[in-house]
Amino acid sequence: MKRVLPGFGLSLGCTIVYLSLLVLLPLSGLAFKSSSLDWSQLWAIASGERALASYRVTFGASLLAALINALFGLIVAWVLVRYRFPGKRLVDSLVDLPFALPTAVAGITLATLYAGNGWVGRHLEPLGIKVAFTPLGIVVALTFISLPFVVRTLQPVIEDIEPEIEEAAATLGASRLQTFMRVILPGVFPALLTGSTLAFSRAVGEYGSVIFIAGNMPLISEITPLLIISKLEQYDVVGATALAGVMLVISFALLLGVNALQWWAANRHHGKHAVSL
Amino acid sequence: MSIQICGVGKKFGNFVALDNIELDIPTGELVALLGPSGCGKTTLLRIIAGMETADSGHVKFAGEEATHLHARERQVGFVFQHYALFRHMSVFENVAFGLRVKPRSERPPEAEIRRRVMDLLKLVQLDWLAERFPSQLSGGQRQRIALARALAVEPKVLLLDEPFGALDTKVRKELRRWLRRLHDEMHISSVFVTHDQEEALEVADRVVVMNQGRVEQIGTPDEVYSNPASPFVYQFLGNVNVFHSRLHGHWADVGRDVAGDGAAKTPADGEAMAFVRPHDIDIERGPVVGGLEATVQDVHAIGPLVRVELAHDSELIEVELTRERATVLELNKGQRVWLKPRQVKVFSVAEAALEEHGSGI
Repeated sequence: MKRVLPGFGLSLGCTIVYLSLLVLLPLSGLAFKSSSLDWSQLWAIASGERALASYRVTFGASLLAALINALFGLIVAWVLVRYRFPGKRLVDSLVDLPFALPTAVAGITLATLYAGNGWVGRHLEPLGIKVAFTPLGIVVALTFISLPFVVRTLQPVIEDIEPEIEEAAATLGASRLQTFMRVILPGVFPALLTGSTLAFSRAVGEYGSVIFIAGNMPLISEITPLLIISKLEQYDVVGATALAGVMLVISFALLLGVNALQWWAANRHHGKHAVSL
Repeated sequence: MSIQICGVGKKFGNFVALDNIELDIPTGELVALLGPSGCGKTTLLRIIAGMETADSGHVKFAGEEATHLHARERQVGFVFQHYALFRHMSVFENVAFGLRVKPRSERPPEAEIRRRVMDLLKLVQLDWLAERFPSQLSGGQRQRIALARALAVEPKVLLLDEPFGALDTKVRKELRRWLRRLHDEMHISSVFVTHDQEEALEVADRVVVMNQGRVEQIGTPDEVYSNPASPFVYQFLGNVNVFHSRLHGHWADVGRDVAGDGAAKTPADGEAMAFVRPHDIDIERGPVVGGLEATVQDVHAIGPLVRVELAHDSELIEVELTRERATVLELNKGQRVWLKPRQVKVFSVAEAALEEHGSGI
């Protein structure tokens, strides 16, 4: 078959080599290493009390962070696309800061701010809210580092929604809330799902910023990546690999599920028929 | 429902979009707002719809003050140039939207919604597309769905913003005849915005010609075409030849003193511009009394018409002849002929200069 654009073979080859080197090879190394354990040993390590608690903290805090960002990221993206205000460019680049800032710096900064004597923590402490060195601190750190994912995914999609759509809804008698719930939200939902998933995945793998603010108490505020590091520090490579394998499986299953959901959300509005013109 | 617009003005920064507009639209009329882009016609339509607020003046519906009503309380149907359909909803749900968002107490039962939506889809002849999504429809179909959606809430006024602007010529012609029929069946007041003079003249009961935020002329299509109130209206509605001339009492001396000579460039009392439509000029092979001598530059046959370009001194004059007349005349390039205008409209230079001043916007 003759193609208009040359280089399909070359570019596909590049893609496969690149992905193999960067993604598949390390992952198969992980699988290979954990296969030196038999199933019962693996299960024992992966379902240990500390391990289970760390999954809860990691996935729970990440989910919470993703949900918080889904809400506030949507608001930020909406404001950045729809309104003009002085300093808009500045705010827009501020969103990217969590991408650029070394995560350790973010962790230390947040820990200082939210500690009992910090600028923010000082006012929260009398109210009985402890942030630094508790699971709540983990949520704060994860929310910080995963914000850009939601905002940057939503921005182009919101730009795509014509303001006329809102005007059309208004002339048809819809209130602001009805316009948002029935017209705007269904339009941005697939992108919101994608953004939140990216934020969630990023949060699950986060290490640098969390360890400074979490307090890292076993069973309470210890995240799985930290548990893996501490196993490695004790030269328990096999144990570390087992935990890593568990995270890999859970993350992959979640991503697969969300991708299926996205595919469904994106396709249900286009039907099966060919476009008739 | 009638619409009154009293002294409406609107500015965007320093740009005057609307300047003290007075307009009265009686119940049941189909009115076209016609003008070049930037003349304020869309702004006026959006002010009637309540999507834009006027800086000054009032909008009244059936004599009642509506200036400060929100768009959703005005009971107007609005059709957008680019359809503005809800992409994630089926055609059926798009049309049903206006009924579904009604407060619970006013919302018709599901069966009633179903019946009304299907009736509307039958009205726009697209009931077989109910389950499709907007992305699966052609432009013409989308615009008809948008119209059905606007009609679902039984508006008192239907407003259309360049409704056929994004469609190709054939579909556009079909749809505008269909809109005319629909308007006659629905007995509501309709206002549509267009920059296409042919569309306005063909469809509307009355045409409002606008320029630079002002109303130039209001009249039936025949009135604005055959009796334009200003040089702008003359030039905007169809092709026109402009002759610089000198007024002698009631006579415009077009024949001897045309543009190009020094006198015409300095406006003085008695200077005037004469407007003649290309189809209002006759060509004779021999000299005629009061005729202009000219040379044939080019002859094009365009469909049923023959367009002849002639040179008179340095001026280019366009004449449209019927095919029969052109056959009789047997015109050739370079031939000398005599022109005789059948209908001329003369405006003073001062009036004309005022128009030319901002026609580029």
